[in-house]
Amino acid sequence: MEKEKLRELKKLIASRLTRPMRYYLDTCTRCGLCYDSCHAYYGIPKKEYSPVGRAEVVRRAVKKHFRPSGRLFPYWGDATALDERVMDEMKEAAFSCTGCRRCMMYCPFGIDMPYILGIAKVLLIGYGNAPEELVMLADAAVEKGRSIDEFKEGFRSVIGDMELEVQKRLGLPSADDLIPMEKKNADVLFVGLSGAHSIIHPAVIFNAAKENWTLSFFEAVNFGMFAGDPEKMQFIADRVVNEAKALGVKEVVIVECGTAYRIPKFLLGPLPFKVTSIAEKIHQYLAEGRIRVKEGAIAEPLTYHDPCQLGRNAGVFEEPREILGRLAADYREMSPTREYNWCCGGGGGLVALDNEEFRIKTGKAKKDQIDATGAKIVVSACENCILQLNTIKDGYGLDVEVKSLSELVAENLVV
Amino acid sequence: MSDEIKVDVKMDLKGLACPLPVVKVSQQVKKMKVGEVLEAETTDPGAHADFPAWAKSSGNEIVKTVKEEKSAKFYIKKLK
Repeated sequence: MEKEKLRELKKLIASRLTRPMRYYLDTCTRCGLCYDSCHAYYGIPKKEYSPVGRAEVVRRAVKKHFRPSGRLFPYWGDATALDERVMDEMKEAAFSCTGCRRCMMYCPFGIDMPYILGIAKVLLIGYGNAPEELVMLADAAVEKGRSIDEFKEGFRSVIGDMELEVQKRLGLPSADDLIPMEKKNADVLFVGLSGAHSIIHPAVIFNAAKENWTLSFFEAVNFGMFAGDPEKMQFIADRVVNEAKALGVKEVVIVECGTAYRIPKFLLGPLPFKVTSIAEKIHQYLAEGRIRVKEGAIAEPLTYHDPCQLGRNAGVFEEPREILGRLAADYREMSPTREYNWCCGGGGGLVALDNEEFRIKTGKAKKDQIDATGAKIVVSACENCILQLNTIKDGYGLDVEVKSLSELVAENLVV
Repeated sequence: MSDEIKVDVKMDLKGLACPLPVVKVSQQVKKMKVGEVLEAETTDPGAHADFPAWAKSSGNEIVKTVKEEKSAKFYIKKLK
C-alpha cells in the first residue's frame, strides 16, 4: 500500500478512536461467548464469521498502527499492518455482519461489535473498496436530495394510480387526495419506500384513521448508513428532517424499515417533531379506536419476526405483538424471542448485495426458528427482513407466507 | 416505443422490492457498451424519482419514460 494512502487510512482510524471504541477494543478477552450468538456463525461455523473473528481484523490493525507494542513487537498479539489482504478481510468482516447486535446481548462486557466494524467500513470507503451497490445507492439518494425538484413530477405521476387502489380498498366515493403530498401543517409526514406496497397499505390505514397526513418525496432507507459513510448518512437523513421542518409537521412516521426508524429516533439529536414507527402508529390508532380490525380473523398459525433494528436496537416489542394478538387466532412466539431473537441475516444493507447463497446459509437459524413454531404465516415490520425471509423461504422450501405488519392490518381493517 | 429507440437490452423488474430495481439496472448498465440503451420495466412507483436520481449520480441518461397501465418503462442510455 502506498505511504500516502496508508497515512490517510490511519487518519480515518484515528478519527474513530473514541472513548467507547477504545473501551471495546481494549476490553475484549476473546472469550468466544459471542460465537454461538451470531446467525452467520450458526450457518457458516468459521471464525471469520464470528463477532470476535470480525472485530479481530480491526483490532489487529489498530494495534499495529496505534500501539507502541504493536509497532515494536507485532508478533505479540498478531498486530497486522494495513495492506491489500487486510482490506479484503475488512470487507468480508464488515459486510458479513448485519449489525443486529445479538452478540452484544451475550458479551459479558457488552461490546458493540458493529460499532468496531464501523472502522472497517470507513476504511473501505477511504480505500475505495466499499461495496459498489451500497455506494451507488447512497450516491443516488444524495442526488435525489440535491435535485428533488427535478424528480417531483415523475413521482407525482404515479400517485394517482395508488390513490385509486386506496379508494378501492376503502370503498370510498372519490380517490382525490387520498395520498396527499406537500401538505403544509399536516400532523404526520409519512416516509415510505420505493415499492407501492410500502405506500398503499399505510395510506389505507391513515385514511381509515382519518389522519391529517402527507407523504414524503423521499425513501426512508438510508444507504449511507449501510455503507458506513457518516457524511452521506447525515445528508440522506437530513432530506426528511428538512422536509418535515418545511411542512411544519408534528410527527414523522417511518415505514417498516428498522434502520430508517433508528436513525431519526436515536442518532440525529433533538428534532422538532416526534419520530414514530408505523407499527407504533397502528398500535396507537387501535388503542384510540380510530381503526378497527377483524379480531381473530387469521386462523392459520402465525408468528412474528422482530426486526433487530426495531426490536433489540429500538425497543419496539409490544406494539407489533398487541396488533397481531388482535388479528391472529393462533399466534406463536418464536424461541428465543424479543431481544434474544435470531437475526434473519438480511440487515445492514446485505439484501442489496449480490450474496444470496451466503444469506441463505446465514438464514439457517431463522429457518430453524420458523420451523419450530409450525407457523404458516411469518410477519415482520421491516422491508429488509421481509426480503430476506422470502429468500430463506425459497432457499429452504419453507411452506410459509411472509407478510408485513401493515399489509396484514390493511387487509383486515373493518371499513 | 422500442421502434423509435433502438433497445439493446430489456429487463423485467416488475414486482421487485426496494432497492433491487436500481441495483439490477446499475449492474446491467455496467455490463453494456457506451451508447447502448436499456429498457427497464418496473412496477415500483419510487423508480420515477429513483431512476432519474441514479442516472444523474452515475452519469447516465434516461432518454424516455413510458407509463403503462400497471408499470413503467425507462429507456436508459449508457453515457460512460
